[in-house]
Amino acid sequence: MTAFNYPDSFDVIVIGAGHAGCEAALAAARLGAGTLLITQDLDAIGMMSCNPSIGGVGKGQLVRELDALGGEMAKIADFSMLNCHMLNMSKGAAVRSPRAQCDKKMYQFAMKHVLERQPNLRVIQDEAAQILEKGGKAAGVQTARNTRYRSGAVILTAGTFLRGVIHIGLDSFPGGRYNHPPSNLLSKSLSALGLKLGRLKTGTPMRLNGRSIDFSKCERQETDSPPIPLSHFTGEIKNPQLPCWITRTGAATAEIIKAGLHLSPLYSGKIKSTGPRYCPSIEDKVVKFPHHGAHHLFLEPEGFNTAEYYVNGLSTSLPEEVQVEIVRSVAGLEKAEIMRAAYAIEYDYSDPRQLDYTLEARALPGLYLAGQVNGTTGYEEAAGQGVVAGINAALKVSGRGPLILRRDEGYIGVMIDDLVSKGVDEPYRIFTSRAEYRLLLRSDNADLRLAPHGFALGLLDPALRENFEAYRTAAEVLLSGGKPQRLPPGPWTLEKAHATAAIDKDYAVYIERNRREAEKMKKLEHLRIPENFSYAKAKALSNEARHKLEKHRPLTLAQAGRIPGVTPADVQLLWILLGKREKNDD
Amino acid sequence: MKLPETSDTIAAQSTPPGAGALAVIRISGPAAFSAASSFLSPFPRDPGHAAARLLSVMDGGALVDRAVVVFYRGPASYTGDDTVEISCHGSPYIIRTILNLAVKSGVRPAEPGEFTLRSFLNGKMDLAQAEAVGELIASASAGAHRAAIAQAEGGLSAEVRGIRAALVGLLAELEARLDDSYEEIPALEMRSFARLASASRKKALSLASGFEAGRGIREGLKVVITGAPNSGKSSLLNALLGYDRAMVSRRAGTTRDTLEAALDIDGFSVLFTDTAGLNARAASPLEREGIKRAEKAIARADAVVLVKDASINETPGDRRAEKETARLALKGARLIRVLNKSDLPAKKGRSAAGCLEVSAKTGKGLPGLKAALVAEQKKVFRDGAQAVVTSARHFAALSAAAGELAGLEAVIRKSPPPLELAAEHLRGALEALASLLGETTPEEVLSSIFKNFCIGK
Repeated sequence: MTAFNYPDSFDVIVIGAGHAGCEAALAAARLGAGTLLITQDLDAIGMMSCNPSIGGVGKGQLVRELDALGGEMAKIADFSMLNCHMLNMSKGAAVRSPRAQCDKKMYQFAMKHVLERQPNLRVIQDEAAQILEKGGKAAGVQTARNTRYRSGAVILTAGTFLRGVIHIGLDSFPGGRYNHPPSNLLSKSLSALGLKLGRLKTGTPMRLNGRSIDFSKCERQETDSPPIPLSHFTGEIKNPQLPCWITRTGAATAEIIKAGLHLSPLYSGKIKSTGPRYCPSIEDKVVKFPHHGAHHLFLEPEGFNTAEYYVNGLSTSLPEEVQVEIVRSVAGLEKAEIMRAAYAIEYDYSDPRQLDYTLEARALPGLYLAGQVNGTTGYEEAAGQGVVAGINAALKVSGRGPLILRRDEGYIGVMIDDLVSKGVDEPYRIFTSRAEYRLLLRSDNADLRLAPHGFALGLLDPALRENFEAYRTAAEVLLSGGKPQRLPPGPWTLEKAHATAAIDKDYAVYIERNRREAEKMKKLEHLRIPENFSYAKAKALSNEARHKLEKHRPLTLAQAGRIPGVTPADVQLLWILLGKREKNDD
Repeated sequence: MKLPETSDTIAAQSTPPGAGALAVIRISGPAAFSAASSFLSPFPRDPGHAAARLLSVMDGGALVDRAVVVFYRGPASYTGDDTVEISCHGSPYIIRTILNLAVKSGVRPAEPGEFTLRSFLNGKMDLAQAEAVGELIASASAGAHRAAIAQAEGGLSAEVRGIRAALVGLLAELEARLDDSYEEIPALEMRSFARLASASRKKALSLASGFEAGRGIREGLKVVITGAPNSGKSSLLNALLGYDRAMVSRRAGTTRDTLEAALDIDGFSVLFTDTAGLNARAASPLEREGIKRAEKAIARADAVVLVKDASINETPGDRRAEKETARLALKGARLIRVLNKSDLPAKKGRSAAGCLEVSAKTGKGLPGLKAALVAEQKKVFRDGAQAVVTSARHFAALSAAAGELAGLEAVIRKSPPPLELAAEHLRGALEALASLLGETTPEEVLSSIFKNFCIGK
C-alpha cells in the first residue's frame, strides 16, 4: 500500500485523546498552532477509563493549577459533577483538596465537543503507527492506514496503549483498554528513535449494577453542601448531586482471596512489572496487611443515566469466578451483579529521564511525551503534563521561549521535575509529601501562582485580566493589614481574597521559610549544564557522583542536586566548574 | 537537597586540628561582626579594617581566653564577606568553646571548603585556582563525612541515627494522614505522638550538650595499625610514639585489646590505634573479642597502616589481613602498606613495591611514615581549608534539630493540631541532621508510609 501524503501540514500533531492528549491539543491550538489530534476512536475521547473522580489530595491542587493555565479538566469536571468533597478540612489549609465525582459520559462528550469547536484544531480517527523524523527532528506521523501527516512537532500521549496486555486471572490478551486494541507499532517506532522503554502495570476494579446493591447495608456519603467547584470560572454547580456509599470487606473476603491467590497473575509470577503502591489490588492488601480485618470500599455512581457503580478499593486481577465470590462476600453486595470484570493491564512506558523540563525528548527535538506513557498514573497527572507539553510544543514551533514550572510554583512543577530527574520505578502519583514547599502550593492560591502565566500566554480570557489583577492586589493589601478596593466583576471576589490572605497571615512564618529555601534553589535552577559537559574532566567528583551524573545528564545544577547519590559537595564543585566555564566562554 | 546557603554567616577553625600552640577561628558572613560581639569583650564600637586587637573571649561571665582578633570588612577579606579572625590558644577546649559560642549566636559551622567556595563565588579567586578548590572540597567533604560517622564514639553515632529513624517514623505518621484521599486512616493519637516527639527532643538535647562539652569525640586523624599476628604492630606503635605504650613480645597475639595513643605530627593531631592481629582462627574468646574491636576500629579509620614482616615470606595471614582491611575500611580511607623489620635481611622474593620500608628497632623509615600519614591533610590545609571540628558540627546539628522539635511540640498543642505545620518542623529537624547523616528523601518517607499503612484505592 502506498502512502498518502496528506495535503495540509500542521504545527503540532497530538497522538492520543486521553486526558493528556486533550489538554495538549487544546493548549497548542489556543496558542495559535495549527494542531491535529489523532485518536483510534472518536467515541473514546476524554474517556475516564478507571474511576469516576477528578481531584483528591495533591490532585485537587494540580487540577486547579491546570485551570489557572487555561486547561479544560476542572471546568468539565464541574459540568459533569454528581458529588463532591473538600478533603482534609481539619488537617490544615495547605492540604485542603477538592475532589469531584463525575458522570463519566457527560465528561467525555463535553470534552469531545470542546475539541470539535476549538479553532486551529482538527480531530481525526486513525491509529498512529510511526513518528516521522527528518534531519534529527520530529517531522510528522504516519498512521496505520498509511497516511503521512507532516508537522513541526509531535506530542505522544499514548496512555497504557503501548504493547498493552490485559490480564484477568491467568487469561491474558492484547489491549490498551478493555475492548480497545493496543498500539504495538508505536512502541517499535519509539525504540527505533532511540527511546528507552520499560514496563509497568496498573488495574481497575469491577463495575456493579446498582439495582443489585443493598444500599441499606452501606453507609451513605453525602456531597458537600453547597458543592464546591474545581474550576475558578464555574460559579455555581447546578447539577443534582448523588450520594456515594461505603461498605467494607470482611474475614470471608480475605479467605476467598487467599484461596484464589494461585490464580492471580500477580502472585503466580505471570505479571512481572510493577504496579502503583498507592493503588494496590485487593489481593495485595490482604497479603501485606493480614491483620486488617476490613478494607473500606467506596461505591461510586458512574453517571446520572446509568446504574453502573464503580467499586473503589476492589481493584484485582483474579479470575472472574473469584471476583464474583469476593464481591458477594461483602455486606450490601451479597446479590450484586458484576457488569464489567476487574482487570490488570501491563504496558510500555518511556523512561521520563529522557525528557527536558518542557517534556521534549532530548534524543529527538520536536517530539514531546506526556501522561501515562511517562510512567505516571491518574487523569490529573496526565492532564497536567499534557498542558505543559502542548504549550511548549506550540511555543517552540513559533520560535518563542519555553514555559518551565518550578517546584515552588506548582505541583505540576514538582511532578515534572521528579519525573525528569529521578525517573519512576512504579506508576507515579502526586503526593503533597513530595512537595518541599508545600505551604506555598495550595488549592486556594493556584490562581495567584499560575494565572499570571495563563494570562501572559493568552490561555485565559483577557477580559478577566483586570478582575484578576485587582484580586491579586487585594490579597496583598489584606495580607499587609490594609483595606482593599472593590473588585471589578468577575470570578475573583473579595471574599476569596480574604480567605487566601487569612491563610497567608496564619502561616506567615512558615511560608517565609519555604520562600527562602525556594529562592536559594532558584539560583541553581537558572544554571543550565551544557549537554556536552564533560564529567570525566571533573576529577574531584566522587566516582559515584560522576557515574550518576553521566547517566542522568542533568539539565540544571538544581536538578543535579536532586539526583539521589549526588551530594551538596558535588553540587558546589559543579558550580565552580560551571562558573569557570562561563568565564571561559566570555 | 538542602543547599549550602551562600549568604549566611559561617565559622570554622582555619588552622590544622591538633596540638598547635595557637589556633585561628574564622567567622565570615554578613553577621560576622554582630555574632562576634556577643562573646568578645570589650567589643570595639567601630572595628577598623584589618586592625588587630587583644580581646577577651567570654562565655557568659566566665573568661575563656584572651585572643588576638582581626576584623576584615568585605570585600577586602579572604572570602569577600565581613570576616573576624580570632587567634586563640590551641587547646581543644578553647577552640570548641569559641565555636560553640559562635553557633549559639546564630552562626553555622562551615561545611568543608566553604570559605573557599565563597571566596570563589565572590570573585576573589582566579580561574587557575578554581579546579584546585574543587578537589579541596571533594577531599575535605569526604573527610568530614568520615569524621561524622567515625569520630563519635561509644555508640553515639548510633544514638544520632536512632533519633533520625524516630523522626522519619513520626513524619510518616503525619504524611500518611495528610495524603490520605479517602480519610480512612484513624486519627493520629496526639498524646503518644507528642510523647515520642518530646523523647526525641530530649535525647537530641542531651546528646548536643555532650558534644558541646566535647564528650565522645576525639578530634584528629584516626590511624589504625593492623596486620597479621606477630608482624610487629605494637613495636611500630612504640617506635612512632617514642615510648613504650604497648606490650611487646615475640609471641603472636600478645595485644588482645586495642590500644590508643595520640601523637602530634607537624601540628596535626594523630590518634593511633594498635589492634590485635586479624587472626580469624583465634582460639580464645578473649582473642576473638580483640579481633572484633580491631575490625570496628578499622571501619572508622581515616588511614590504615598495614604491617608486614619483611624478614619472612608473605604468609596467608598477611593476605588475610590485607583482604580484611579492604573489606572493612571506609571508602576513601587511605591504606599505607609498611614492611617492618627491614633491619633484618630481607627475604628474597618479598617485593617492597608500594610499601614503606621501616624498622621499628632502628627507627629507619619512621620519619617517612609520619610524613605520609599527614601528607593528605597538609595538602588540604595549604589552600585555606578549615578543620572539621566534629563536636561543633554535632552540637549545631543536634541543637537545631531539638529547636525544631520544640516548635513541633508547640504547634501540636493547638486544637485541632495543624498537622502540616507539625510536618514542617519535622522536616526541619531532619534537615538539621542531614549534615551528619545524609538527607531524608520523600521516597524514604513514602516507603515508610506504604509499609505501615494500608492506604490507597
